Amino acid sequence: MFRTMRIYRRSLGAHFRSLLEYEADFWVLIVAGAMFNALNLLFLSAVFAHVPALNGWSYAEAVLLMGVWSVIGGLSPLFFEGVWRLSWMVNQGTLDYPLVRPAPVTVQVFSSGIGLHGVGDIVTGGAMLGWALFHVDVDWTPLTVVIGLVLLASAATIHLSIIAITNAATFWISGPHPFLAIAVHTFEDMIKYPLTIYGAGIRAVYTFVVPFAFVTFFPVSWLLDRSAGWVGLLGPLVAAYCVWLARTVFRRGLRRYDSSGH
Amino acid sequence: MKPYLSMFLMSARRTFAYRLSALIGWLGGGAILISSLSVWHALLGEGAIAGYDWPMMKAYLVVAWAAGSIGASQGDWRMADRIREGHVATDLTKPVDYQGSRFAEHAGGLATEIPAILIAASAVIAFTGSIPGPANVFLFLLSFACVVPLKFCFTYLTAMLCFWTHNFMGISWAKDAIIWLFSGGLIPLSMLPVWLSVPASLLPFAGITATPAALYLGQATGAEAARLLGLQVFWVLALWFGARLLWRGALRALTVHGG
Amino acid sequence: MGLVKAQSLTKVFRRPQKGPGLRGSVKHLFQRRFKDVPAVNGIDVSIEAGEAVAYVGPNGAGKSTTIKLLCGILVPTSGSVEVAGVTPHVDRIANARNIGVLFGQRSQLWWDLPVRESLGLLRDMYDLPKGFYQQRIERLDEVLGIGELMPVLARKLSLGQRMRADLAAALLHQPRIVYLDEPTIGLDIAVKDKVRKFLRELRADGTTLMLTTHDLGDIEDVCERIIIIDEGRKIFDGPLAQMKDSFARTRRMHLHITDGTPMDVIAKHLSTADVSGEGSEVTIAFDRFAHTAGQIIAAVLQVAEVGEFHLDEPAIEDVVRKVYAGELLV
Ligand SMILES: Nc1ncnc2c1ncn2[C@@H]1O[C@H](COP(=O)(O)OP(=O)(O)OP(=O)(O)O)[C@@H](O)[C@H]1O
Ligand SMILES: [Mg+2]
Repeated sequence: MFRTMRIYRRSLGAHFRSLLEYEADFWVLIVAGAMFNALNLLFLSAVFAHVPALNGWSYAEAVLLMGVWSVIGGLSPLFFEGVWRLSWMVNQGTLDYPLVRPAPVTVQVFSSGIGLHGVGDIVTGGAMLGWALFHVDVDWTPLTVVIGLVLLASAATIHLSIIAITNAATFWISGPHPFLAIAVHTFEDMIKYPLTIYGAGIRAVYTFVVPFAFVTFFPVSWLLDRSAGWVGLLGPLVAAYCVWLARTVFRRGLRRYDSSGH
Repeated sequence: MKPYLSMFLMSARRTFAYRLSALIGWLGGGAILISSLSVWHALLGEGAIAGYDWPMMKAYLVVAWAAGSIGASQGDWRMADRIREGHVATDLTKPVDYQGSRFAEHAGGLATEIPAILIAASAVIAFTGSIPGPANVFLFLLSFACVVPLKFCFTYLTAMLCFWTHNFMGISWAKDAIIWLFSGGLIPLSMLPVWLSVPASLLPFAGITATPAALYLGQATGAEAARLLGLQVFWVLALWFGARLLWRGALRALTVHGG
Repeated sequence: MGLVKAQSLTKVFRRPQKGPGLRGSVKHLFQRRFKDVPAVNGIDVSIEAGEAVAYVGPNGAGKSTTIKLLCGILVPTSGSVEVAGVTPHVDRIANARNIGVLFGQRSQLWWDLPVRESLGLLRDMYDLPKGFYQQRIERLDEVLGIGELMPVLARKLSLGQRMRADLAAALLHQPRIVYLDEPTIGLDIAVKDKVRKFLRELRADGTTLMLTTHDLGDIEDVCERIIIIDEGRKIFDGPLAQMKDSFARTRRMHLHITDGTPMDVIAKHLSTADVSGEGSEVTIAFDRFAHTAGQIIAAVLQVAEVGEFHLDEPAIEDVVRKVYAGELLV
């Protein structure tokens, strides 16, 4: 376990250093990552200048939701960027070498790249989250803090598992680009707003089929003690299920891997 | 004209070859449209905001989405990659204008997009009612036609930055973010704070969403409409010829550095 | 007891049969039709510790596929594999510690990192102690000259440099068993020689080696056993020398006749050999088990004056070529 973590860190670190070579690009990427979040925030601010609430969510509450989404969204490029290369690796047969090394294939794949724009997401998202936590109405107890952190970790796990599962679909739907994963990922953008603004169909799909609702909406609802907030407490269970599913899909997929014809 | 026509056709055909990635691009745009429609539906439930009621906002969002989608499948990547991978040298040996060639290719992608946009937009409008008068539609189409060269100029100018940086992704995002904000794609410009909305209305980005939407919704008529269209045309010309100047400078840099 | 053992090893690829274009793809979604391609078809191999085996066959014979099965990249369709007591595709990680693999057409270096970083990452994966790692790097620098490549980004290496760095990466952890799939592909003579010399040293260290190649020079230099496969089936397995004996019976002697004796006179005199040539240059092909070279030259001297002469030793190249061409049945 420690060895795995070390390999992961080493690999990410090496790619990080290689990115630092082009200093200008480094800053452009981070700033560009931050920019979209700043615009999302600007949107909320502009809107709330005219209305007191969005579907019962106050400004601070909506910012909290968006902050959670940005922080979690920033984790995947930063720590998980390599998963987006899986399709290419499978298609080109370059998964051969990870398979003959004594480390988990997933670790080698996930850490094979780094997306610096994640830094922008996490910094701006963190700022939104921090500001909002001061301004929302929550009875803080040590237990709330602990549960809150557990739910945040679960949310991140669910988000990353879904990315992993959709990317692993490449073992079945061959092709050099992860189209399914990209499509699903774009739809995930919708969870930056409270789920209640969407129709019943979307709410059902985002809860039961692709559990994006557990990434932002349910955990934040729990913290804010809204109706049906208790559903948020199921986060760890959903996360465990998603991890199990991702593992199974990966295992099955790797057995189907047939390299390439040379 | 013939080489440009063949580049146009080639590029049109290529979008069919990349239909899956184009489709994904469309789905992504659809997701954004759904979420912005839903947010505004929730927001406008209580009453109009800054002069926009729900039917108006719906029309505004559909226009913004159409303006955002057009040219999207043409990815800035191809242009940037040509520069990054040094194909420019080969392009320059051909007896055609570089900027013109890229525009022909860019426009080729529209051949597949315009029908799709028309179908999707008319479906939304048919469902939601509120069809504007013929004068509005005419002005809107004039203005929408300017969106194509405008977006091309932004893409072309940003791709040129690849002469100086290696990583195009960040630049492309920064461009998208700026356009999103200043065009009115994020939120109608009139809802922005004044220190943002005034410069935004004069900058070229407004021509991408705010201007066609204002004409479609009938917010600008008569002299005001003419002024908006004039501004749009002015920016198209200014950017087109500005790009030529910059390109010349870039080439000089290229030869100084020894290619 | 072999160190590497495979029994009736079989791998069948399913190749989708799609019509051309979008129509073909859509149709394939509903009517899935596949064609089975048996790439490896019931192969038995057993390799002892310390052996160096050449694995040869024409393009598409199934060499690379066999190697991928032996190192656990592919799961066999049927049959069994055991390498140093573990089944590679089941106990992937345990197996990975025993083996080193190089696919000549493809690099395992992280292409956007300097060589040093790639080796450092591998060091962590194989859990190599610092002293051992340093010692290995020094050793690999001696024989492969990788020292100068350390700070270079992998994507900036030339082919020969890349292959040297890749060899170093594959052998960094001093594996007991090494599989090399075309380790000299695309290299110039000088680098090829360097790589071959390195492989000989590797053998001398007692490493078990399995090598596929189309360059038969590699084989004669490095291996003492050869396995030939074609269309997924084994057609020869034995010592290189034995193969030469069994299949390279014909030797050729080239002579320069100085007294103008016509060729047919010599041909008449040597009725059991095959005489050909033009003017004063004569080539005599004879069965090495029927005559010695001395007997042939003595016979020629009875009828003609000979200036220069030389003898072609049977080249493994000819043999393999004949086996490929189906002229020799094993
Ligand atoms: N991933 C794959 N999917 C489908 N068919 C494959 C795959 N890999 C190999 N094949 C087929 O299996 C057969 C054997 O291929 P293999 O790569 O093992 O040949 P090889 O002996 O290494 O040939 P070469 O000398 O050209 O490298 C070929 O017909 C090839 O087309
Ligand atoms: Mg091969």
